[in-house]
Amino acid sequence: MHSSVVRIQNVFGFFTTVAFVVAALIAASDLIAPRTPSANVALKDVQVVRGRPHYYSSKKEEYAVIKFSLSADLSSLFTWNTKQIFVYVSASWPNSTSTELTNEAVIWDTIITNPSADHLQNIGPVAMKKLIRSAKGKSIDPSRGKIELKNQKAKYQITAPTGKVAETDNVVLRVHYNVQPWVGILTWTPQIEFGSWKKIKGGVSKAFKLPPLKVKKEEKKE
Amino acid sequence: MLSVLQNPRQAAAQLLNFGLILSTAFMMWKGLSVIADSPSPIVVVLSGSMEPAFQRGDLLFLWNRNWFEETKVGEIVVYNVKGKDIPIVHRVVRKFGVGDEAQLLTKGDNNVADDTELYARGQDYLVRKDIIGSVVAYIPFVGYVTILLSEHPWLKTVMLGIMGLVVVLQRE
Repeated sequence: MHSSVVRIQNVFGFFTTVAFVVAALIAASDLIAPRTPSANVALKDVQVVRGRPHYYSSKKEEYAVIKFSLSADLSSLFTWNTKQIFVYVSASWPNSTSTELTNEAVIWDTIITNPSADHLQNIGPVAMKKLIRSAKGKSIDPSRGKIELKNQKAKYQITAPTGKVAETDNVVLRVHYNVQPWVGILTWTPQIEFGSWKKIKGGVSKAFKLPPLKVKKEEKKE
Repeated sequence: MLSVLQNPRQAAAQLLNFGLILSTAFMMWKGLSVIADSPSPIVVVLSGSMEPAFQRGDLLFLWNRNWFEETKVGEIVVYNVKGKDIPIVHRVVRKFGVGDEAQLLTKGDNNVADDTELYARGQDYLVRKDIIGSVVAYIPFVGYVTILLSEHPWLKTVMLGIMGLVVVLQRE
């Protein structure tokens, strides 16, 4: 009894030590892999309307619907420890009292999995088959980091707690990413250069102003 | 059992040893809690709302200090809804204002809608103090044991029984 229990304990202890050391080495390997992403984002169209931005909205409010174009090359973010990359475009704008961009809202996002994580995606069977076939035999597929969107409609509308967004000035669109590893540290778009991790090249649109409220014709009749 | 009766001194030493292991684990947990400034610096993912990033049973390390910048859009935060005791791990998708008063809206990557429905009645946004930490590091699967334990309570009894037996029967 005594010796077999001790042996099991020793084997298990050694196993966890080895597993953690290997995991730490894998996580540390992220720091060596260079990251040189670039992105271009531009506004195509924007409208401000009044209504219910979601089916579950309780009250009518102003919201902005945006169309934008995005071309990005995030392929350098895919390494053997990359599980997925979460890419998101946000709109930021200052308060009326300051020039600092104090408000930010995600208007569009996408999840790009490394082929090693494809089976975890929550998509239909047909799309899943297509996704898996697109990277057959590859465990890393940097070509997935290339994004080309033209006149893309935003997934999420811009709203504000005050219920007013029309004629907001100095709005900019920005591209961000979040790298989700298989094990280790989560990383976001860096604010400063860090070793071989470069800042995102571009990724900010020109400042624009939200248009005045668009009045629907039906409402005029009432 | 016999050994316990024969040698109370040894039994007492074993009991102390067991207590030492437990208190060491507790101290490490609380120490981490102080360093990260979070009541719960390590959490286990309980739902699939952040898939494919996090699966059930994955272990997340939290950081609750804003040394360099404020909690911002895109960060994955853990928050407690007022009046409910279940921590939720979701991503911040909107932020209005700055500082402690900033209004934050969260959404699970795998959910279609944002979390407005999850919040307490009359609560439209989170504020910074609702958040108990931002996710900074990730280890897959290790926390699954706790999910097993909470879903199959009999496993707890079995494990405690085995541990007790080992402690009692072990000679050293």
